[in-house]
Amino acid sequence: MSTRFRENTDLFFSKLFKVTGLLTLVLLGGIFFMLLYNSVSFFLDVAPLDFFTGNQWNPGSRGDYGILPLIASTILVTLGSMLIAVPLGIFTAAYMSEFANRRVQRILKPVIEMLAAIPSVAIGFLGIVIIGPGIAKLFGMQNGLNALNGSILLAIMSLPTIVTVAEDAIHAVPMSYKEASLGLGADKWETLFRVTLPAALPGLIAAVMLGLGRAIGETMTVLMATGNSLAFPDGYLDSIRTITATIAIEMGEVPYQTTHYYALFAIATVLFIITLAVNLIGEAIAKYYRKFGA
Amino acid sequence: MVLRLYFIILCFSVTSCSEEIQTLKIKGSDTEVNLVTELAESFHKSNKTSYLSISGGGSGLGIASLLNGQADIANSSRELNVEESELFRKRGIELDTFVFAEDAIAFIVSPLLLLDSISTVDLAGILDGSTNNWKKLTGNEIKINIYGRQSNSGTYDFVKDKLNIQFSTHAKEMNGNAQIIEAIKSDPSGIGYVGAGYVMNSRNGQIQNIKVLHIRPDKSNKAYSPLDSNAVFNHEYYFRRHLFQFIRKSSASAAAPFIAFEKSPAGARIIRKSGYYPVKIF
Repeated sequence: MSTRFRENTDLFFSKLFKVTGLLTLVLLGGIFFMLLYNSVSFFLDVAPLDFFTGNQWNPGSRGDYGILPLIASTILVTLGSMLIAVPLGIFTAAYMSEFANRRVQRILKPVIEMLAAIPSVAIGFLGIVIIGPGIAKLFGMQNGLNALNGSILLAIMSLPTIVTVAEDAIHAVPMSYKEASLGLGADKWETLFRVTLPAALPGLIAAVMLGLGRAIGETMTVLMATGNSLAFPDGYLDSIRTITATIAIEMGEVPYQTTHYYALFAIATVLFIITLAVNLIGEAIAKYYRKFGA
Repeated sequence: MVLRLYFIILCFSVTSCSEEIQTLKIKGSDTEVNLVTELAESFHKSNKTSYLSISGGGSGLGIASLLNGQADIANSSRELNVEESELFRKRGIELDTFVFAEDAIAFIVSPLLLLDSISTVDLAGILDGSTNNWKKLTGNEIKINIYGRQSNSGTYDFVKDKLNIQFSTHAKEMNGNAQIIEAIKSDPSGIGYVGAGYVMNSRNGQIQNIKVLHIRPDKSNKAYSPLDSNAVFNHEYYFRRHLFQFIRKSSASAAAPFIAFEKSPAGARIIRKSGYYPVKIF
């Protein structure tokens, strides 16, 4: 009786967890299918070549659906944010796990994690009232709503992810590596740069990729702080409009089941493929280094 | 877009809950949202059983909501375009169109810019990007920064259609009237457009640190200001437009008392007080 009961419970729970496990799969599949289905409807109206090579996004009466300026904007702003956040994040992580004493560590870690809790609207607001005008003053420009502004804000937002994951990776480097290095006469600086960081590389790459994923998908901040101009961007001091901001701005106004509506799904699919590629590349690089590191 | 004002009048009188409660969802134009909210507040004082929910988001959003069945009334600062009327026809949704007020679009610049009036031709040249420097108009070699609205805004479409241009792709698309005003305040090379109601402050004076341009229509030498209420009322100011409400036919009877209130003298007083113009009756 008791054995029977236990077997039944086991069976029940194994089935239950199987369902929850499969649910994620169904969700992912469903979303992907929806994106793809609507994108196909879009490509029945607009030639893929025009979509991928057109350098003008101007839906509506003119019907220009060129995605290039949007992709360029997204790449520009995320690349900028990584240029700021990666060195900052990795050095912070290295400081925290190698140099800081216990007390500093105990304060710094929760504070950095708290940075992740700030809502993106609040960061966008910061960009409009403080960083934007600051950039304008610094570069002698009239207005600071541009790609640089967005990059700085996205760097702030991806910093907690990068620091936390990078710190774990550095922490996980075996003590014997460092001891061996110090034992051979290297100082702390050399040990960090020649031994600890290279050993932690797979984890550091994972950290960067996670931060990058966060930055690419962010919507509200870039929508508020980058000026949203449709022209092909010339550089960091130009206003830009990313893929995410375009979807957010235009989703509210499109009548359903029109070319413009399908177009937004098509650019969402492109965004999905970009993030997927970032994750896969990150994983592959991490795996490659793990093979040689071991 | 970000600025979305929700205003909800709740049915609070317990005794009336046995009666049928009428729910009216009004969505659309950011230009109209404050005005319609005020009208609804006054309306509610005499009609305690009605329940209105009003939100902004842009004219395009209001019309799309009406089309997608998420609203009863769409506030819109522009007419339906060809594609939209086609879609309403295709889906068999009938509409009542009601012009409940008029307003003016003001073009604003910094007080430091040496320009007081501009012709519609020069304005079109600036906004479509063919003139990208102030040299021709002020003599100073400074690049022009355009601050406009996003494409879901009726103001955006109105200016575009009135001047018959495509906006320059270098124009910045701001989130709303207030953000444009803030940008112009700190940018001596900028030009922007906002609803004229937004350049007035609560004490009915013009807000500081911006300059409202006088507009000179093509083939005329007299320029008018959008703040000159006679010029707007008499249709001499060029960028004057109708504020529409599109009412779904199936909700027409529910909406009728509110529409009647908007047409009443009490409604006209509120429209006037908020810096808009009641419809001129010929």
